[in-house]
Amino acid sequence: MFQKLLIANRGEIAVRIIRACREMGIRTVAVYSEADREALHTQLADEAVCIGPALAKESYLDMERILSAAVATHAEAIHPGFGFLSENSRFAQACGRCGITFIGPDARMIQSMGNKAQARKTMVEAGIPVIPGTREPVQDAEEAAARAEAIGYPVMVKAALGGGGKGMRTAWTQEELTEKFQTAQLEAKAAFGGGTMYLEKYVQSPRHVEVQILADRHGHTLYLGTRDCSVQRGHQKVVEEAPCQAISQETARKMGETAVRAARAVGYVNAGTVEFLVDKDEKFYFMEMNTRIQVEHPVTEMVTGLDLIKEQIRIAAGEKLSLSQEDVAVGGHAIECRINAEDPERKFLPCPGTISYLYLPGGCGVRVDSAVYPGYTVPPYYDSMLVKLIVHGKDRQEALAKMHSALGEVVLEGVKTNVDFLYRILEHPVFREGQAGTDFIEKYLQ
Amino acid sequence: MSVLHFRKGNYISLSRGERRPNVPDGLFVKCPSCREALYKEDVAANHYSCYKCGAYFRVSAGNRLRMVVDRKSFRAWDEELAQENPLSYPGYEEKLRELKSRTHLPEAVVTGSALIGGIPAAVGVCDTRFLMGSMGRQVGEKITRAFERATAERKPVILFCASGGARMQEGLASLMQMAKTAAAVKRHSEAGLLYISVLTDPTTGGVTASFAMLGDVILAEPGALIGFAGPRVIEQTIGQKLPEGFQRAEFLQECGFVDAIVRREELKETLVKLLRLHGYGKTDAGQAAPGQAEKPGKPAEDIRKADSAGTAEDIRKADSAWTAEARRGGRLPSYEPEPRDAWERVKLSRMGSRLTSLDYIGELFQEFLELHGDRGSKDDEAVVGGLAFFEGRPVTVIGVQKGKNTKENIRRNFGMPSPEGYRKALRLMKEAEKFGRPVICFVDTPGAYCGLEAEERGQGEAIARNLMEMSALRVPVLSIFIGEGGSGGALALAVANQVWMLENATYSILSPEGFASILWKDSRRAREAAGFMGMTADALKKAGFVEEVIPEFGTAKAETLPDIAKYLRPRLAAFLAQYGSMEPEALAEQRYERFRRM
Repeated sequence: MFQKLLIANRGEIAVRIIRACREMGIRTVAVYSEADREALHTQLADEAVCIGPALAKESYLDMERILSAAVATHAEAIHPGFGFLSENSRFAQACGRCGITFIGPDARMIQSMGNKAQARKTMVEAGIPVIPGTREPVQDAEEAAARAEAIGYPVMVKAALGGGGKGMRTAWTQEELTEKFQTAQLEAKAAFGGGTMYLEKYVQSPRHVEVQILADRHGHTLYLGTRDCSVQRGHQKVVEEAPCQAISQETARKMGETAVRAARAVGYVNAGTVEFLVDKDEKFYFMEMNTRIQVEHPVTEMVTGLDLIKEQIRIAAGEKLSLSQEDVAVGGHAIECRINAEDPERKFLPCPGTISYLYLPGGCGVRVDSAVYPGYTVPPYYDSMLVKLIVHGKDRQEALAKMHSALGEVVLEGVKTNVDFLYRILEHPVFREGQAGTDFIEKYLQ
Repeated sequence: MSVLHFRKGNYISLSRGERRPNVPDGLFVKCPSCREALYKEDVAANHYSCYKCGAYFRVSAGNRLRMVVDRKSFRAWDEELAQENPLSYPGYEEKLRELKSRTHLPEAVVTGSALIGGIPAAVGVCDTRFLMGSMGRQVGEKITRAFERATAERKPVILFCASGGARMQEGLASLMQMAKTAAAVKRHSEAGLLYISVLTDPTTGGVTASFAMLGDVILAEPGALIGFAGPRVIEQTIGQKLPEGFQRAEFLQECGFVDAIVRREELKETLVKLLRLHGYGKTDAGQAAPGQAEKPGKPAEDIRKADSAGTAEDIRKADSAWTAEARRGGRLPSYEPEPRDAWERVKLSRMGSRLTSLDYIGELFQEFLELHGDRGSKDDEAVVGGLAFFEGRPVTVIGVQKGKNTKENIRRNFGMPSPEGYRKALRLMKEAEKFGRPVICFVDTPGAYCGLEAEERGQGEAIARNLMEMSALRVPVLSIFIGEGGSGGALALAVANQVWMLENATYSILSPEGFASILWKDSRRAREAAGFMGMTADALKKAGFVEEVIPEFGTAKAETLPDIAKYLRPRLAAFLAQYGSMEPEALAEQRYERFRRM
């Protein structure tokens, strides 16, 4: 096992990883930007190294500086968290070259799953169901229109290098497609530096259901049940649940097995998530595979009793998975709400500022993953997520009640948050009845 | 500042970590400009440039070849030449031995043959790792031999220059290499062959003062230091601090010595294009390596041969096809110039929205590659010129360029060329003559620039020399007046085999305002003067100064450009076919007689 581990991230996920390391007796090194001198992760780690100015490009995204910090502090492993360099195959490769263990899959896997068009092709070859669409990249609007004709409207335009909803558009007619294709392509070029696009059938009011998997270096791959992340705003997840209640146990098992097959098809190692779109008839289609730990991993932890970060570290250290598929039991129901510093009244504009007063809930089955404390100033440079509130109940009803109660205890002053908006979601009958699809917010709350 | 007091430390270590991370040598490199650490593989994939600040790394000969020549096509020439130590300079032999083993290079330059986009060429690359790419006898000898062999094999030469200058350790023998290489370039050039010199960081001293600056085309990499005396030497000599950017490629281009600054990622493509524009590639089917050539250009010989296109019959066919097409589109383009009085045409010829030379160049020609500078003192942006294809044939195009707004007009000096502009035009015409390429000029100027600097640098001399040299050019020359044809400033680009004018273009001894002011002492009578002067296209055609009037289908602007171009294309093809089939002497003779009559 590692003696010392560097966390190449910030915010609550950095804190989450530091906590896991503390429990495992691994010394931790935090890296921080000049804007994060007082951040919780900077203070909680055993050592902290400043790696540059506030702009992520010059700090959390600068792999040379992070590797230098790791070498200087003799850290044997780097956990990339999510975002930043977590899905940068070059970084994973460079870690290896420097004799540092990258906690995640190897560079080749990150690369093959990072390119969406290639990932899709791999999955088709492995017999994994995918959404009907073009297998070849689409270069321009004219070509897109021709392909859309074959797939049938509505269609979705996606950037090959995309993520987070950028470079993504839905079109119901050819006119709309022509117009939206160009804007999506421009957006993709600006955001990801590549204008390669592809088209797929738009599944109406689907659910976003994903399967958490774990795979060790010794050929064991497990699935840890499903997560329903349908409640999204502009392709950003807001509320997540485990397990997904809208599908039968039989479908959940099939999806799990399919996810394992997908992971095996690429020889996947470490924690990963296979995302599916599920339609009304419980037909599911592979969307993409995320080769990192995800924001919503705690809901899986709550229902399985596993610590995914620790599992990631153990796998990276070469250990065997301690359990088999039969040992995985999904118990009860968990819900996570993402509390962000943003203003729902002003198009969810991020609202950085100083937290003047803070009270966070607790109690039986309530978990808080956050990086804030009273007096902490939320810097404007990074993601606006402040707190992940997670609850666990014996069933969805109890979990809903717990979340409703816990949200009511959140007192967070000094910055605007989306807590009231989260309330609206929780109280909405469509959500309460478990009927929310990915268009839920768009349809009912905007 | 809030400080949280956590309890930390006191971990129980079961075993000491055995692996210590370290950065292996060569994983990272430091940017020469921003000093940031960079991942070497990314730098290599990024054409050896910094992905943080964009600065270029110096490139070894091997990497340069990998970036530019076709895979596995390089064959080295004269790898092992006997080393000498003419001054018996102490330690020189050991130093050379050590460098040879460290760089795996025989000397500071690598020469050989290679394919570039499937086109065979002689290639030389200097390597700064070897005594700063300095030129001693071996370097001079290798370059000279490369030119000699290229001359014998009728191959173009492409040289990537990078050097601190002559090699001090070899004394006067090094100095002689400057003369030796320059002489070899001359013989290669006399044989009608192309030499492209690519100046990379740094190109200084005796190398600048010999083969580096002698290319038919001189390209430079952005930011490259190029100069004769090094900046430090100059500063010490004149006791002044040199301005930012002094002796950088961009500065050299402004000073007229660099044809084009080309980014590394576009270098190979640009070289291939230049080779094709000079008639290389697929001269006959067997010569170019199969599957290597991208869109090969027409061979030089074809320029002189009349081919099927270009007869009066072809023009008629093209016109009627186009008229039919326009009718189907519900339009009725008329070839008949609209009746307008001369003053109206004068005003139209000066309109800000009027099409400029670059508009015509962009519409009529393909793959235009602009070449800058007069190789003397400046790049005059009032004149644009370069190489392009017209329906597959390489041509040289030159035009006086006006701006479309005030900012552009300041840059283009309102289309009033300086002496350097005329000298650039002449240089490009001479280059065209060497490679048997027709010259097409677009004329649109109120007149040659009238100013202090223009006189200091010999405006009159520049115009006069163009008139004289153009009269004897051994390639077809066509001048098209697209707007204003202001006096000597216009004539300096119009000693042509034929002169054509757009319907609303003008050509005159001076402006109607000036004419009225000088002869009638009243510049307000400009309208009257315009009618009197016979300066319009139709009047000049009647008077025999002009061969063709080109209809504007309204007035020449963005909307009518496609129509004007459709009208011009078959006529241009006919001109090139007719004059392209003439002997070089006959071309000059026809031009001589054309003006002799006047």
